[in-house]
Amino acid sequence: MAASIRQEIQQHIEQVGYLQPAVHQPVHAPFPDEISHDFYRALLRSDHDVGGQPDVPIPWQEKEEEQWELNTYVTCEVLAWRGVWNAEERRRRMNADLGQTQYLGHPYYGRWLISAARVMVDKQHATLNELIDKIDEVKARYESGA
Amino acid sequence: MSMHHVEKITGVGDPQCFEGEAGKPRFKEGDRVRIKDRPDIFYTRCQMFTRGAIGEVAVVTHESVPPEDEAWENEQAPAEWFYIVRFRMQDLWGDYPSTYPNDTLQTEFSERWLEPA
Repeated sequence: MAASIRQEIQQHIEQVGYLQPAVHQPVHAPFPDEISHDFYRALLRSDHDVGGQPDVPIPWQEKEEEQWELNTYVTCEVLAWRGVWNAEERRRRMNADLGQTQYLGHPYYGRWLISAARVMVDKQHATLNELIDKIDEVKARYESGA
Repeated sequence: MSMHHVEKITGVGDPQCFEGEAGKPRFKEGDRVRIKDRPDIFYTRCQMFTRGAIGEVAVVTHESVPPEDEAWENEQAPAEWFYIVRFRMQDLWGDYPSTYPNDTLQTEFSERWLEPA
């Protein structure tokens, strides 16, 4: 019984976290004179991993890297050795270029992975249709259990 | 990253490959510096929470291409000095508890972000 109470309490604490006040203002292609200087600066602010942004407290958790995460890391380093990008361009792509929704939405190595795919397409090491075909092929193989 | 740059760093390391390229550092250890609040567009490594704050140069670290250039593969841009600057936590966060007046935070800047304070 005690265990389930603890679980309920955990869920409760988590749920309270979602009640953190936030101001959401619907905006879609506003007229130029609706944009204040302050808001323009906020719009241009890029996401990055150097810290300092306000956020709700998140629990500290130890997590070992999974195999796909290690593979992603190695792939990104190999792309550097082959001259595709340097570490700063990688950070720019995975922290700033993704935009806030994807930056906050992906797992950490998910951002590395999507940025690696993007740089290959941007610099024409693979075409987008080659990438789409490959994802499609792997997905079909995975779903068939082969 | 250009293959030219890959060749430049191979066996030497990055940022070691930029040694001797940035001339004389403008600041030295112990200098008080203010972080410039330059326009934000596309990319920087200069943390927002340090803008306008005053700190002290803790270490003159190395020479390298500034992040805003490096992030677009512009490894041929002029290298500049990088510094680790130490701030009092109270100077960075308005609501920092006065119970811990000695707490500090150190972070890194390229020279163009610093001015004498």
